[in-house]
Amino acid sequence: MAEKLSAVRQSRGRSSESWGHNIKKYWPYYLMVLPGFIYFIIFKFIPMLGSVIAFEDYNIIGGIFNSEWVGLKHFRALFTYEDFHRILRNTMILGFCKTILIFPIPVILSLMLNEVRGLKLKKAIQTAIYIPYFLSWVIVGGLIFDLFGIGGLFNNVRNALGMESILVMQKESWFRPIFVLSSIWKDAGWGTVVYMAAMSGIDPSLYESAAMDGASRFQRMRHITFPLLIPTIITLFLLNIGNFLELGFDQVFNLQTPMTYSVSDIFDTYVYRVGIQQAQYSFTTAVGLFQSVVGLALVLIFNKLSQKTSEGGLW
Amino acid sequence: MKAKKVMALVLAGILTVSAFAGCGENGDPKESGSKSVSENGTVELEVWNCNTGFLPCEKDSELYNFYKELTGVGIIQPYVEWNGGSNYQQQLNLKISAGEMPDLFLPVNGMEADLIKNGALLDLTDILPEKAPHLWESVPEEVWDIVRSYDPTGEGRIYGVPNVRGFTVYSGLIRQDWLDALDLEMPTTQDEFVEVLRAFKEDDPNGNGMADEIPTGGREEAKWMDHLFAMYGLAMQEGAPDWDIYDGELTYAGVTENMKDALQFIRGLYEEGLLDPETLLNDKAGWEGKINSDRVGVCYHWAESATAFSEAMKTATGTEPDWAVLPAISAPGYESFYTTKQVTGLEWVVKNTEDEAVIDAVMKVLDAYGNPDLWDDFYYGIEGMHSEKVNGKLQKKADDKGTQQNLIINPANSLADLEFKVEMFKDMEAADESRTWALDQAIRDLEEVQQYGKVVAGDGMPSSVYEGYPDILNRTLYVEYASKIITGEYDIDKFDEFVEKWYASGGEEVTKAAREWYAKTQ
Amino acid sequence: MKVRESVNDRIFRLVITFILVVLAIITLIPLLTVLALSFSSKAAADMNIVNLRPVGFTFASWKYILSNREIWKSFFLTVVATVSGVLLALMITSMMAYPLSKKEFKAAKILMVAALITMVFKAPIVPYFLTVKSIGLFNHPLVLVLPQILTAYNMIIMRSFFQQFPLEVEEAAMIDGAGRFRLFYQIVIPSSKAVLATVGLFYGVTIWNQFQHPMMFIQDTDLFPLQMKIRQLIGDGSELQTLASMAGINYSDRTLQAAVVVFAILPIIIVYPFLQKYFAKGAMLGSVKG
Repeated sequence: MAEKLSAVRQSRGRSSESWGHNIKKYWPYYLMVLPGFIYFIIFKFIPMLGSVIAFEDYNIIGGIFNSEWVGLKHFRALFTYEDFHRILRNTMILGFCKTILIFPIPVILSLMLNEVRGLKLKKAIQTAIYIPYFLSWVIVGGLIFDLFGIGGLFNNVRNALGMESILVMQKESWFRPIFVLSSIWKDAGWGTVVYMAAMSGIDPSLYESAAMDGASRFQRMRHITFPLLIPTIITLFLLNIGNFLELGFDQVFNLQTPMTYSVSDIFDTYVYRVGIQQAQYSFTTAVGLFQSVVGLALVLIFNKLSQKTSEGGLW
Repeated sequence: MKAKKVMALVLAGILTVSAFAGCGENGDPKESGSKSVSENGTVELEVWNCNTGFLPCEKDSELYNFYKELTGVGIIQPYVEWNGGSNYQQQLNLKISAGEMPDLFLPVNGMEADLIKNGALLDLTDILPEKAPHLWESVPEEVWDIVRSYDPTGEGRIYGVPNVRGFTVYSGLIRQDWLDALDLEMPTTQDEFVEVLRAFKEDDPNGNGMADEIPTGGREEAKWMDHLFAMYGLAMQEGAPDWDIYDGELTYAGVTENMKDALQFIRGLYEEGLLDPETLLNDKAGWEGKINSDRVGVCYHWAESATAFSEAMKTATGTEPDWAVLPAISAPGYESFYTTKQVTGLEWVVKNTEDEAVIDAVMKVLDAYGNPDLWDDFYYGIEGMHSEKVNGKLQKKADDKGTQQNLIINPANSLADLEFKVEMFKDMEAADESRTWALDQAIRDLEEVQQYGKVVAGDGMPSSVYEGYPDILNRTLYVEYASKIITGEYDIDKFDEFVEKWYASGGEEVTKAAREWYAKTQ
Repeated sequence: MKVRESVNDRIFRLVITFILVVLAIITLIPLLTVLALSFSSKAAADMNIVNLRPVGFTFASWKYILSNREIWKSFFLTVVATVSGVLLALMITSMMAYPLSKKEFKAAKILMVAALITMVFKAPIVPYFLTVKSIGLFNHPLVLVLPQILTAYNMIIMRSFFQQFPLEVEEAAMIDGAGRFRLFYQIVIPSSKAVLATVGLFYGVTIWNQFQHPMMFIQDTDLFPLQMKIRQLIGDGSELQTLASMAGINYSDRTLQAAVVVFAILPIIIVYPFLQKYFAKGAMLGSVKG
């Protein structure tokens, strides 16, 4: 029995093992990943090869093989675009907001939800906060414009307090706070789902013994629940950082006004404007490649970091 | 078990090759559609045009048979979401890249230029006069000349059928009943106009005892307030600056001194509270909500919208408004007009083919489209589905996207003249007298606004002049500066900075292309 | 065994509960305005005056939506697509995620990098269209399901849960002579209900709400999923209003839109509480032990 167990353990972590040997020994694993692997090839990798059009002047009649090869022309066009600095700066600032201000909120919300006792109340709260996720940004944008308009709740409160109405949707300084708050309002509740699932895996006896040792609720949250969530947090963080430069076109487009362009114009809105014109597939693909390369680099860097500091990471 | 993995790789390889073979085949634009002739000898065409949500037209459906009777051709129209034209454009591009271009379709955003260059569209120059004489006659000769200027090869061939609108459709609209209530005359000078706005704001013309009136306004991106810009002789359509002759040369209206003065004036109105403070935030629903709730004095829209606005307000508030034409009022030193464009791009282009049967079928459809005797039929559609008999006269039914098929051939909106339009309104009056008060407004306004219309020099300019400069086409810079100047965030002097930036960021090149195009049409 | 809750703990808990309840109410307010609009009259919508309560209360929009047979057809089609899609997706995703959570699986690292690349790099639209079309999915019902059944994001989330699965349990089963397949579907899967529910929910919502794929690949109105049908019925609201008499019609594009938005969300709201039991404290561990 003990021998068998150690044999199972030994088989782990031997990276020098040859491929043939590994396949022979773990063939069920290879078989299991096969459908997913084929799926990725068909639906992801083959179409991805089409990214070569970023280096062509893609022409919808000629197709990939009959379009003119132009090398780095479209990348040069992007980097020399007169507002390139503006869109890069705006994208990065909003990206940081997303990573630093928005990303932690679901974690906090989940920890709080975990403290609620009544099961029905907990379910009701959870359902309520996750509903906004299902409204599209067009609708949410409209609601926000109403909220901050003249006669909207925001200005009614200001008037009641004796202040003048202000139209914050046309003020540059308000754009970023509104971006952050609307993201939290719409997506934070939905973001708790994974953490709630992760918390369901925590052994209740851990809490019981801690409580008997006299740990307060806050201490239990701080020293039991939170540490056990860290692997999940790291995984989600690494998955999200890959889209650092892709903030989602819909949200920004539906919240911006020409008066706030100087802080709200980002890669995605720029690509949209360019795309309105005919046959700009090559250029938009080039911009997408740039965003993806940055994203991939960020994932690799942060993965290294998390491997060093916490043994976590994606591999 | 190795075999399994090898098999997977082989399978993946096969799929790769087949997918790419698929791409490769798409190279030939002349790939002939063998599907075109059905069993009973009727030629079938795939036709794409704007559809804002009505049902498609499948083979042997009611609309299919209806069109077959009118044109002798089977018309198949798949459902393609329009969504402001952007989805339509994408779907069309995808179909074309798959080698499945529709036989007859509406090109959007100047896409025809590329297609012509690639030889993908049928040259109509010689066949139209011969095989679609009705259409050839219905479109004025000078408009065909504009279409010739679209040929990017410079040979002046005709590759499409234009969307023609031979009369002025937009107008400033003012509440005549408010003027009457306050005992005011229709303004004719800018000073009088501003006085009227002040009276609207202060003297409670809607009589509800509250100072809730909005003298005038518009919508986000400084759209739909052209009546204010028009005072400075600016060519402008739905808020987008257009091209006209300034200082003797074709110039973008957005960068002229006229524009600077106009923005100065509008900024003054905004400061004084005569312009809706939310002007630059209003979406369609927001702005029309204010119009419909009896709060707005002057707005800008299609002249015929007088009817829709009036009826909506009547149901909503019980008040019967009178939306009259606001004359084009000149600011001191300027000559005002309401911008008119006769040609708004191409309505139809035809896939290049050598199949005589298909060409003949397309020509039959286009000839029927251009035949004034059939415009009524195309407009009213199928009795029972799109229209019904009221008092012995055909009447359009209210839109119902759940049951109505999309009337894809619609000369009433893209070819018909003012006379046809007015006749339509008169027919509606005959059917339902209770609507006369509102319908009369549209008839009156349509006829009255014609005197203020002026065809601008940029009429018919293809959007290909903007190629490579999306920010100029989307007027990103203009909207940003104009909005900030109007709200007072920017000083009016910032306008000069805008002009400089505009020229530097591609305006120079676009202006050059525009002037070259203009020279061709002269 | 229960330790009595101390006063401080109690205050701490009540404060947190209070904050959450307030947040939940704030979150719901905007939804109420949508709901109110769906029950408002055309006139009220035309005047843009609906806030939290319906103005000119009417069922006109709801009647129009619910009596439309095409909508129900799309509804059931979408239910079928969602259910079958989720089952397929959970199968293919878990089968890929499990081996990737094993250190001894030599291909794990390469496959992880590959999966990550599919997540970060997106295929340009034209090649994507041509590829999917070339497998025959244009105007094919399967296009409602197949393109959505495996994403690297969901797969990696599932993998991170499998990684936290107690090794002792697996080892014990292996010693009892279970093969790797049996271990997977008899021990690992039944004990991973929380993550299956989570990932299943993610896939389900994606398929339920999809319109990008149908817009690209479906032109046959008989194959329209719910969101496409809704977009068709709401349409663009063209600038120029129709001039036909609107007498007797008490809905507008905006009230209809509000009604269908609520209509499309309802099923998801109804399903969610049933999933929540898998998220209960200790649910995962309990089933492993049992």
